[in-house]
Amino acid sequence: MFQADTKWQPVSGTPQFGLLPAITGTLYVSAIAVILALIFGVGGALFLNYYLPDNIAKIFLSFIELVAGIPSVIFGFIGLTVVVKGFAKIGKMAAGQCVLAAGIVLGVMLLPYVIATCSESVQNARKTYELSALALGLSKEAVLLKTILPSIRRGIIAAAMMAFGRGLGETMAVMMVIGNSPIFPKFFGRGQTIPALTALEMGSIEYGSMHLSVLYAANAVLLILLFVVLGCGHMLRRRLDKDET
Amino acid sequence: MRHRVGKYLTRLACFLLGVSAIGIALFLFVYVFWKGRGVISLSFLLDSPSGVPVGTDGGIFPALIGSIFLGGLSALMGGLLGIGAALYLAFYSDRKWLSVLVNTAILGLSGIPSILFGLVGYTLLIYKLGIGRSLLCASISVAAMIVPFVSIRAKKIFEEKRRGYMEESLGLGLSKEYTLRKLILPHCASELLGTVALGMAYGMGAVAPILYTGAVMQADIPRKLTDPFMSLPYHLYMLVNNGFSLEYAFGTAFVLMAFLLLVQLLCKGVTSLQERKESR
Repeated sequence: MFQADTKWQPVSGTPQFGLLPAITGTLYVSAIAVILALIFGVGGALFLNYYLPDNIAKIFLSFIELVAGIPSVIFGFIGLTVVVKGFAKIGKMAAGQCVLAAGIVLGVMLLPYVIATCSESVQNARKTYELSALALGLSKEAVLLKTILPSIRRGIIAAAMMAFGRGLGETMAVMMVIGNSPIFPKFFGRGQTIPALTALEMGSIEYGSMHLSVLYAANAVLLILLFVVLGCGHMLRRRLDKDET
Repeated sequence: MRHRVGKYLTRLACFLLGVSAIGIALFLFVYVFWKGRGVISLSFLLDSPSGVPVGTDGGIFPALIGSIFLGGLSALMGGLLGIGAALYLAFYSDRKWLSVLVNTAILGLSGIPSILFGLVGYTLLIYKLGIGRSLLCASISVAAMIVPFVSIRAKKIFEEKRRGYMEESLGLGLSKEYTLRKLILPHCASELLGTVALGMAYGMGAVAPILYTGAVMQADIPRKLTDPFMSLPYHLYMLVNNGFSLEYAFGTAFVLMAFLLLVQLLCKGVTSLQERKESR
């Protein structure tokens, strides 16, 4: 099941159940998404809490919070009509569905979450350091780079872990834009994730078959991954909260 | 000189990233509402889907009602269970191991991907128990998904209120149950309701748990719990995935998003009103 040369051919004459492509695909997409969400999320949180007046920042923050309430089908739908179409046009690809498109869509989904958690860290860090650092004659940007960013580093890592965990389990949006081919994922190639695989195939499976058992095994792998990632994220958060009080 | 360049670069980077983050958020709403506005009409909202293939003509009325039924039922089940668990954790957790267990279970449940609720609901309810694709199975799957959502938030609400009331009330010789019933629950009622409503909105938007447990492409308004039903997000997914009608997909997305947005804004409005009242 976990060998690199076993393919995913669940319904052929001699069924093969290679899970490795789906596992790597899941990790790959989430990693792209988290990196994108972190870049825009941390930048956005700094911009909102550092350069904008408080009341305007509050309005924008609650607006971005609304994005978190958009269901994942709509993200998938917009991803399909905007991102995938864009890739097809620019990249001269046949369909435009690829791992990168899924990563972008998932990254946008994780963005409100990252911004919310990072904003909190930035606000806390500002309270602790800003006045004293400014009093020492540092410029606003130096305070930002030299004191605030290093002090929220652990908060960012915790947020990244939690976001990564969310990304691993995302089903609909990813499934609609990734192309769903059980091959090893490439940046501009199609791929497959475990949740998408489950959602696609569980409807056509016979009860009690090997196929269903393998799907359960795949999700067990996913759960173990989630347990590790979210567990680490939680521990980090807990320790941070303890440090702050 | 180098310092000055670095300073402006930092500022520029922050501005660019921040503006694009806000821009992306704005784009999502504007795009769907702009593209979907052409399809929206009274007949789109109040007719049943028709045409060949289904969904290319007519309206989405059964899907709208089906989603509301699903949301209501799962909010009822998930909300009660979630608030119950939160009550236990906030007020009755004198046995250490049990409260740790409940807490871990809720945290664990909150990390489980939505598709797993669908997978387990499908194999357990439909194959093992033989209920058949129905509103009931879908609601149970969705309810399991919103239990941690409600529970974590409800626990926070209870813990805030506990500080204000519990010790004073116990000090006056009132029982714990009396305090809960007469003081804490009435005072939390609107906040709890808001939390459950948010959970409902979250559950109504999910496709993965209802994918094979109850949602279908065409059905009437469900009359029994064991009827299959139509749901807005599922309808949208089928329209897009099978390439039936992009125009109607935008219309469906418009309605779904407007509905969920309304619920969220209502909840936020009520909460901020409450806060203002309390701070006065």
